[in-house]
Amino acid sequence: MPLGKLSRLLSDKKSRFSTVFANHSLNKAAIFLSHKQQNGLRTQFTITSNFKAFGVILRQLILMLAVIFSPTALSYTAPISAQIFEQDSISVTTSLVAKKAPVETIWNTIETLGKNHSVYFHAWGGDPQINIYIQWLAKRVKNSHNIDLHHVKLTDTSEAVSRVLAEKSANNHQQGQVDLVWINGENFASMAQYQLLARGWVAQLPNFSLTNPSENEAMTRDFGLPTQGMEAPWGQASLSFYYTPSPNTHDLNYAQNSYQDSISKAPKNINQLLTWAEQNPGRFTYPKPPDFLSLSFLKYALIALNQQQKEQVKSGLYQAPTPQSQAALLPTLWAYLDKLHPHLWHQGQYFVASGTALQRLVGDGEINLGFTFSAAQIPASVARYNLPENTRSFVMKDGSLSNIHFVAIPYNAANSDSAKVVANFMLSVEAQAKKQQAEIWGDSTVIDVSKLPVQQQLLFSTNQPHPSALPINSKIIALSEPHPSWSKLINREWLKRYGAQ
Amino acid sequence: MSNSLVTKTPLSDRLFNAIVKISPKVLMAILILPVLGGLFGVILPAFGWLPALDKTQFNVHGFQQLIQTPGIAQMIGLSFFTSIVSGLLAFIITLLLLATYFDSPWLPRIQRLLGPILVIPHAAAAIAIAFLITPSGMFARLLSPWLTGWQNPIDWLLPHDPYGISIIMGLTLKELPFLLLMTLSAIAQPALNIKLRAQYRLALSLGYYPMTAFFKAVLPNIYPLMRLPILAILAYASASVEMPLILGPNAPPTLAVAIMNWFHDVDLSLRIKASAGALLQLLITMSVLITWWLLEKITLAITCKSLSNGKRTYGDAFWAKIINFFTVLLISFITLALLGMVFWSFAGYWQFPLALPEQWVLVHWQSALLQVQTPIINSLSIGLVATSIAIILTLLTLEFEKQNGALLSNYSSLIIYLPLMIPSIAFLFGLVWLQEALHSKAIFMNVALAHLLFVLPYVFLSLASSYRRLDPRYAQVAASLGASPFKIFLQVSLPQLLMPIMMASALGLAISFSQYLPTLLVGGGRLNTVTTEAVSLANGASRRTSAVYALIQMLLPAIAFSMIWLVSTLQNRQKKNTKVNL
Repeated sequence: MPLGKLSRLLSDKKSRFSTVFANHSLNKAAIFLSHKQQNGLRTQFTITSNFKAFGVILRQLILMLAVIFSPTALSYTAPISAQIFEQDSISVTTSLVAKKAPVETIWNTIETLGKNHSVYFHAWGGDPQINIYIQWLAKRVKNSHNIDLHHVKLTDTSEAVSRVLAEKSANNHQQGQVDLVWINGENFASMAQYQLLARGWVAQLPNFSLTNPSENEAMTRDFGLPTQGMEAPWGQASLSFYYTPSPNTHDLNYAQNSYQDSISKAPKNINQLLTWAEQNPGRFTYPKPPDFLSLSFLKYALIALNQQQKEQVKSGLYQAPTPQSQAALLPTLWAYLDKLHPHLWHQGQYFVASGTALQRLVGDGEINLGFTFSAAQIPASVARYNLPENTRSFVMKDGSLSNIHFVAIPYNAANSDSAKVVANFMLSVEAQAKKQQAEIWGDSTVIDVSKLPVQQQLLFSTNQPHPSALPINSKIIALSEPHPSWSKLINREWLKRYGAQ
Repeated sequence: MSNSLVTKTPLSDRLFNAIVKISPKVLMAILILPVLGGLFGVILPAFGWLPALDKTQFNVHGFQQLIQTPGIAQMIGLSFFTSIVSGLLAFIITLLLLATYFDSPWLPRIQRLLGPILVIPHAAAAIAIAFLITPSGMFARLLSPWLTGWQNPIDWLLPHDPYGISIIMGLTLKELPFLLLMTLSAIAQPALNIKLRAQYRLALSLGYYPMTAFFKAVLPNIYPLMRLPILAILAYASASVEMPLILGPNAPPTLAVAIMNWFHDVDLSLRIKASAGALLQLLITMSVLITWWLLEKITLAITCKSLSNGKRTYGDAFWAKIINFFTVLLISFITLALLGMVFWSFAGYWQFPLALPEQWVLVHWQSALLQVQTPIINSLSIGLVATSIAIILTLLTLEFEKQNGALLSNYSSLIIYLPLMIPSIAFLFGLVWLQEALHSKAIFMNVALAHLLFVLPYVFLSLASSYRRLDPRYAQVAASLGASPFKIFLQVSLPQLLMPIMMASALGLAISFSQYLPTLLVGGGRLNTVTTEAVSLANGASRRTSAVYALIQMLLPAIAFSMIWLVSTLQNRQKKNTKVNL
């Protein structure tokens, strides 16, 4: 069986036969090959054009010659190929345990192979600020690795999921159009379930260790699901609210008002929200599921409304829903929404389709209260005139839903090596620090800043915040995301109850 | 030696004949293969066959799920009625405009005013209309607070009303110029025009009032030319996505929007239901077309006697006044929508009751122009490729028709309108699947070909009537003077068709510029055009940025149309000069 695979590999033009040759000469090939699964070598060394193929073959010939004639090289080709073949089973721990030299060498190989290609990064494109940041990323990887990073702007990440699925159903297992995708939560659960993502590549990224994954479990869990090296963390966010008083309800010198005064009329927890909506009919709304922000709001409500429940009942939120946990947790949410909806914008008969539309409504003065997952968007929007100057951000006192967003590589990505190089750069101190700047994007870093040298730590400190920004001293009580199946359940039940009126 | 050369036809002529002979078949293949292939790619999953999800057994679970969807009846009703009502409104307004202004200098003026609306992509038009009618929109701002007393936008249901009024508004406004322009380009054909004018004048001289004369003498002649454009807008309206997405309700939305959401849902198993929905959409579109056909028969049965009842007027003067007023209203509505969009694109802070922005800033245009170059180049190149292929194929096919002396069979002309009649949402997803199965990598050509599917019918529609009504005597004279078919085509037919060809090219470009679903799906998001950018930003946070993109989207086709205007003025001037010289 291993020999059969070996001969297949040798006859496969695309495979890097030099590695196989070196292994063969060391008589170890059989052992490593038995670990090889479907998409190990092939996706790694898929080559897009003949011209580039020629270059790669030339490079490999040189590499092979070097391998043959250098006894020291022989000693490390084995671990390289071992790593390459075993990449499916690499876990965070093994890579940390593995010797430094091989990891670096694998990375060097990936970096070399990843140069001079294009990477199609499928990411939600609804925010100009984020789009500009991605353009900056593109400029940097172009300079450093000659990689052309193309931002494929999605209106919904599920479009990328559909595309990879369509490719899989059409047996396109190597030349996928999606190289890198910005993803988390339910989309990730979906892609993982249908095995649409490359596994175990994250530990290969040198910068992944900056997130301190061994101590920070959140970096390897996405909505409670283990990421199994399928996605690299990119940033984190928590649900924050913003409030714009109507022109006739605030006194004109709001600029002099203290922060506390400005938001004194805004609701501070889920129950106050209902009272506030009753007093201000038509001045609040939330988007329609399955929008990401909508489900986030509903999950926040679900958690906050059930905070008085027993621990045992509450823990049901972090496991797949069962009939018992549904019966214990969901009724409070529906009862709440039944009471809330008549007081919403358009009497709850129309819900905006996307979360960003909320901001437009606040900007138009049609509603007074909005919420977002990227708090830094608010001052940026005020600066771009999209929100009134008297907008103020705050967090709910009963907690903020928090999560991490990731980038993943589909199993059939045409340029997976280049995508890894890009993902690694996204995790670099430079890119993460820039991302955290309020005027750039303001997305919190995933790097464990406390482990960095002092000069680098300084990069993450922020300037004097904008009056509409979330105050630095805001006390954020982080609420973890429930198990992803809850989103699906809430979505389905919501549409059943309120989807057709 | 020289004799043998004389008897042989030159190479260019033989080549031309061969190309002409094959072009109808090429045209059919380009239209029929993707559409049928795409339908095939939807029918299989609809009946439960989706190997990617390990579903390989045929069943009707998808349809069962579809029927159980909450609000499915409302979705169907909404799709059906918005399309019928908007089609009917557009048709009636077109007729009234034509009737009122048939013999007046205002007709070309109205045509010129409405022409630009035709080329405004649906998404941009929807954004503009939304700006106008939202509670914080232009209307409310103009009337507040002096008339209404509103300090804050009140909470009314437009533009997302559950009855689809906003959708009907948007669709009617978009369909009206299309129908009007299609009709005008059909009756602009010299031979027909002379005949119609003569009949009209005869009716006037017999004492018929102008509008009555139009309805009794002209309409029966031009309705057959209007039928296909009407069916096309009905089919489009019943399955369009952009308008209902931006203006329509979403609890529940129209069926087409729901299908798109299901296709894009995270829950991948919903695709089976979506495919079943796509087939249902097909049925709805068909029933809309059949309803129109029935309406047509009923109207004919009721009115055919009144054509010859000799009645000279039906309160013409009163109606003319109403229509004059209505036309002014319509044009100011459109102007206001456009103005609102321009304001937003330059607006700084703009609190509610103010009718004008508090500041004027350039930052939205600056940041958009930095990012919009590639999308513009993509839009232009895709549009040019698709339109030139469409124009060439159409002309060659029409030439084939002329040479053979017979019109295309009913069957073939049906195929030409296939992409217009079959809702794109029904076959595009299948097409993407098919394209994946063929491992097709030429994204640019794929997108251009997908655009061709939608451009070709419109180009054919706008060119065919002109070509078919060319006076054959010119060609006969040229042939009798010894000109080859190629020479006749190039030097006799084409110059006479310059204006229709220009018109068709501009229309083709405009259609291509406005394509959203085909670009997004077939291009896999890799080719960003101005339209895909505009739609993705329409759902974004900034009214100002989306206004900028919608305006850029409008400007692109406007450039194409102003070129036509330039050519036509030059041509007119030339004609005048030659007349003076004579």
